[in-house]
Amino acid sequence: MTQALRASFVECSGRERAIKLLDNGTYKELLSPFDGVESPHLEPQGIVPQSDDGVIVAKGTVNGQQAVVISIEGSFQGGGIGEVSGAKIAGALETALKQCENGMKVIPVLVFDTGGVRLQEANYGLLSIAEIGAAIVALRRHVPVIAVIPGKIGAFGGMSITAGLCSAIIMTREGRLGLNGPEVIEQEAGIREFDSKDRPLIWSTIGGEQRMAAGFADLLMEDDTESIKEAVACIIKSGGMFAPRAEQVERYEAFLNQLDLSQRLIPEDVRKLWNEPGKKTVQENQSLSENIKSKGRGQVWFDLLRNGAPEISDVPSIRVADALIGKTKVRYIAVVPDAQSRFARARNGEVGLREGWTIAKYIREAIQEDQNGEKRAIVAIVDVPSQAYGYHEELLGIHQACAAAVDAYASARLNGHPVVSFIPGNAISGAFLSHGMQAHRLIALRDPGVTVHVMSKKSAARITHRSLEELEAATKKVTAMAYDIESFEKLGALHSLVDGIEADNPELKDRDMIYKEIKEAIEDIEMVGSMGLEVRLTSPLAQDGGRAASILVRKKLNEQWN
Amino acid sequence: METLKYTFPATKKISQRAHVGVVGSGDMEVIVEPYDGKEAEVTVRTGVTGFKKTWEAVIDRFFTQHDIAAKVKINDFGATPGVVTIRLAQALEVSSLDTSVKS
Repeated sequence: MTQALRASFVECSGRERAIKLLDNGTYKELLSPFDGVESPHLEPQGIVPQSDDGVIVAKGTVNGQQAVVISIEGSFQGGGIGEVSGAKIAGALETALKQCENGMKVIPVLVFDTGGVRLQEANYGLLSIAEIGAAIVALRRHVPVIAVIPGKIGAFGGMSITAGLCSAIIMTREGRLGLNGPEVIEQEAGIREFDSKDRPLIWSTIGGEQRMAAGFADLLMEDDTESIKEAVACIIKSGGMFAPRAEQVERYEAFLNQLDLSQRLIPEDVRKLWNEPGKKTVQENQSLSENIKSKGRGQVWFDLLRNGAPEISDVPSIRVADALIGKTKVRYIAVVPDAQSRFARARNGEVGLREGWTIAKYIREAIQEDQNGEKRAIVAIVDVPSQAYGYHEELLGIHQACAAAVDAYASARLNGHPVVSFIPGNAISGAFLSHGMQAHRLIALRDPGVTVHVMSKKSAARITHRSLEELEAATKKVTAMAYDIESFEKLGALHSLVDGIEADNPELKDRDMIYKEIKEAIEDIEMVGSMGLEVRLTSPLAQDGGRAASILVRKKLNEQWN
Repeated sequence: METLKYTFPATKKISQRAHVGVVGSGDMEVIVEPYDGKEAEVTVRTGVTGFKKTWEAVIDRFFTQHDIAAKVKINDFGATPGVVTIRLAQALEVSSLDTSVKS
């Protein structure tokens, strides 16, 4: 018998994985440990940095085809995305995009092993992940973007959304793919919702085998380095064989519409429903009756800004209306609470399964309708407490719903629609990534009720093994960890921070000021003409230190690329 | 976090730079780079404070046994003295090989 010994891919370090995916002798690492570009934000918090900040970027070839492998080292800080590691990923993808636009194809391969945003660098991670997503959506128009999720950590948080944006996903049985990690769900929703110590439950919900069987991954491979390399090569060769999941709005919408959520679904049910779609069983209410309408800022500002224009969404928690500001056509989109939602974990205005796919639907509709005409502006009204934390949410792929929304906003941008976010309330975590972060320009109110962050303080303390007091102390040292909008402003991503607005009970004069801000932002987008998110790095505050490491990493990557 | 620095007289050059390990639980990373001076300069950053004497003993033993002129950086996440010694030995081995890619 001549069976070759298998060589584990899962057991390899992040760097070994990159070396093994690329053809022998072609490996060229960019920003290697010897360049010493490490996180500037960890030492002040008493955490030892790593010389590559936990991300390995290497150019080379896969079966002779130009490729760039981006591999995350899961052993360092749980593979968390900080400013430097995030900029390495985003910068490498942006440079690859430039090369593709110049007609020289280079295939990006992302090897995930990450819990998502590095909580010690919070909003830097959030900004980076938005930039990574923007680059992937743009790259997909040129080349397949390949995700490998070998385990042991998997892909979580904002990085699960990133995976959901890729052209194809390769997993092993050890890999996991989910938006909210088990411990965070347990913290936010209780142990009955999800028991983070129950490993069989975790893997049967979000593990590679289930993800493959329920339509959330494309190839399930044995933990064998050669097989995984072959899988990557196979996707490259297949060209456009894999339709990006994030664009398949109708299929997933139909999938969600046939679910009976009155009882706890089991993973097998989901596999069956995915593979043998049945009939639509759910009838949504068209809209909310006035008496149960939320008094939250999202709803209030949506009603004020649309100024009587008819609502067109058939999902109560997603409000959509087409209106005019002066002569400019605008589609407003707001996520609002729906106390009667059949998704119990998404009743308070969270971005959940239905919300992600519905946002995608209405943005894609606008892109389609405006294909040959004036591209209306898309304005996201952002007041989102969080993404939905729940067992059903993970089982049914909330990361993919969020990716669909991200993809739609980014596609609108790339198709020439001005996209603006107006933030009168909370802009938090995966919810903000899905609804708001892909906008060309961000407008926020200077108000204590406007916050930006990546995780509730309780969960963040639990995950980073700190007390709440220690966490509070750290937020004072690292601007990106703070929750208030004024700290967020210092990072340079906001287009404007508007003073003197009555955020909770706005009047017509407040509305008119916001009209003016939105209009001015749209004009700025049209004047600058860029379709990407570069402005977040070229703004005076970003240049002035707000994004110092993000800028430096990109500069060095560019220098080393050729 | 604690930063510790040591220097040892050295005469032998190493043939190339080396990087091994990861700043993960119970482990550490070492970066070794050739140095034209006549000494080994060792910088240790560790998240576990209060073990200065142990570090001194481990590092002193290694660089007394191995005469290399190099700049050595250690980023530690709770490696035991045994792991420290093995990682240093591994880095030394890689730094005297002549393949271009090693992890």
